[in-house]
Amino acid sequence: MTYQHTDAAGRRTGHSAPYGGRPAAPVPPGRPRRGPGGRRALAAAFWLGLVLAVLPWWLATPAGSLADTADLLTAGGRITGLIAGYLLLVQVLAMSRLGVLERVLGGERISRLHRDLGATLLVAVLTHTALLLVGYARQERNSVFGEVGALLTDYDDMLSAFVAAGIMVVVGFTAVRGIRRRLPYELWYALHLTSYLTLLLGYAHQFSNGAQLYEPGPVRTGWIAAYLLVVAALAWGRIIAPLVFNLRHKLRVADVVAESPDTVSVYLTGQRLNQIDMLGGQYFRWRFLNPGGWWQSHPFSVSAAANGRWLRLTVKVVGGHTADLRDLTPGTRVWAEGPSGTFTAAHRTRERALLIAGGSGIAPLRAMLEELPPGAALIYRARTPADVLLHRELDWLAQARQTSVWYVIGRRDDPGPRQVMNPEGLRHLVPDLTRRDVYLCGPGGLVDETVRVLRAAGVPRRQIHLTAFEL
Amino acid sequence: MRRALIAITGLAAGTTALVVLKGGPGAGQATAGDVPAASAPVAPGGSPAPDAPPPTAAGVTPSAAPSTSAKPSAKPSADRTPATRTSTRPRTAPAAPKTTTKAPKPTTRTVTGPTVTYRYGSLRVQITLSGSRIVDATGLDMPVGGQEGQRADDVQARYSGSSGEVVAKQSANLNTVSGATYTSTAYKQSLQSALDKA
Repeated sequence: MTYQHTDAAGRRTGHSAPYGGRPAAPVPPGRPRRGPGGRRALAAAFWLGLVLAVLPWWLATPAGSLADTADLLTAGGRITGLIAGYLLLVQVLAMSRLGVLERVLGGERISRLHRDLGATLLVAVLTHTALLLVGYARQERNSVFGEVGALLTDYDDMLSAFVAAGIMVVVGFTAVRGIRRRLPYELWYALHLTSYLTLLLGYAHQFSNGAQLYEPGPVRTGWIAAYLLVVAALAWGRIIAPLVFNLRHKLRVADVVAESPDTVSVYLTGQRLNQIDMLGGQYFRWRFLNPGGWWQSHPFSVSAAANGRWLRLTVKVVGGHTADLRDLTPGTRVWAEGPSGTFTAAHRTRERALLIAGGSGIAPLRAMLEELPPGAALIYRARTPADVLLHRELDWLAQARQTSVWYVIGRRDDPGPRQVMNPEGLRHLVPDLTRRDVYLCGPGGLVDETVRVLRAAGVPRRQIHLTAFEL
Repeated sequence: MRRALIAITGLAAGTTALVVLKGGPGAGQATAGDVPAASAPVAPGGSPAPDAPPPTAAGVTPSAAPSTSAKPSAKPSADRTPATRTSTRPRTAPAAPKTTTKAPKPTTRTVTGPTVTYRYGSLRVQITLSGSRIVDATGLDMPVGGQEGQRADDVQARYSGSSGEVVAKQSANLNTVSGATYTSTAYKQSLQSALDKA
């Protein structure tokens, strides 16, 4: 590990440095904005797909054919089954790391979608199972438990379907926040990974027993095509695209620099770095290919805008994995997936921006500062002066890009933070607060509280941008 | 989490709405005298059917049904059509003792449907009619033994006989026997063709 020279800080920016650094590859000054158009198109596609999933049932069910309770229950079970099948595909697609999704929706929105859809999917699957069990049991004048036995013995592929439902229940419950916190991350991750099995195990019973799907025809073909598309997206997003990216850029650790007692910056070099289409504030999922770290991948933001020569991530040491980052040796190969995220200057809705960072949350904001037009403002919350990271770069950027920077130091209840972190205090520092986009990055508590303060100060919801990996 | 709750509520509401829209009020199963209606695509005089939503009517062209039933080669993709057609006009008035008006001569005759080949074998359905009323039905040449035989027996037990579902409903619009979807469908298909012939 090397320690930074105090006078070298100015070279850290990607722009031609006044302190003698080599001129960087030119960054186009005004990146085109990325508006909500793509997001709306995806939302429309989602709803269209949902309608298409249920439509076969609607068309194949004669009006008035649902005479008795058993029919009604069975019909409800079929509908929820179709919806569950569709939602499972959407879930897997959302997790496919497809570049389009990662850059249009962003990781934060995807993980929220994944969580909410996951809960819905679990309820849909359980409803589907329960309704059909009760419905069939009534039709055959069987007990519900007897019907479970009948399904398992008389129907094709039902055993695997029940196993799939069981996996889904386990995955769903371990994803509940309280339970998830008590599990080791690796165990939780392994459990969550088994949910891919549900795609496989739940597949067959839809076609051998699904009233809408077992007949050959456009519905069955379409359903199979949807499965194939999702699997293709998964293969592309998880395997092919990262493979292409990493074979092309061959990233390696160049240096590890201590920024503060508990924060390190990892500098990476590679080939054709100027061709990475990366925006400041985006993140990659990093996998450091050394004996201890190759099997885990973690998302970290890049803490400097694209400069064509190096990438840098700045990470606070909080756990086992981040501690290992300190001991990386230069030359270690790095596997990266990305770039992802909508936490960028291009996604702003207004011309000017206010950035609020907490602790090591400065990393993506520092990268974004280089791509924001002059006139941005940065509020940097840190507990002690030693926790302020990259402050030379920030000072330099403040000067070069006419950015106002305030360091707000202290605990939450100290007078300084209390004075600033409320609607009046923010308005005092940034009078045109409500006409700016606000980018927030930091510990969960700070982010939540700041969002409350911002909303109280009258900042519209769509002008507040968050990045948080923990839900 | 709030959005998940909204989504789950939406799921429940949507499913209920769909079932209610399809099931509808007054969606009584036709009990008797359905055979003449099956041979004529339009239901006789002023059947109210206030709840029949258009999608089913649009999804199934009535003229397509006779042609599929005339073909004895069992095309599985077509077997949904005849079943749908018979029930596009759910009668709200049950008109139970129709036999007295419709059947002046109580002669019984038997009609046999075409052989339908399905995943586990083949079968055909023979119905006995008294006038236009089905009084008995039975599946012929059904698979014997093994899981196929078990399925065939289940279907036979539910549908056939003078107290089976065919006689009760007087139509091919029967509840699918769970665990024997293919067999049920084949049975219904052959039955529908027999009804069309009768």
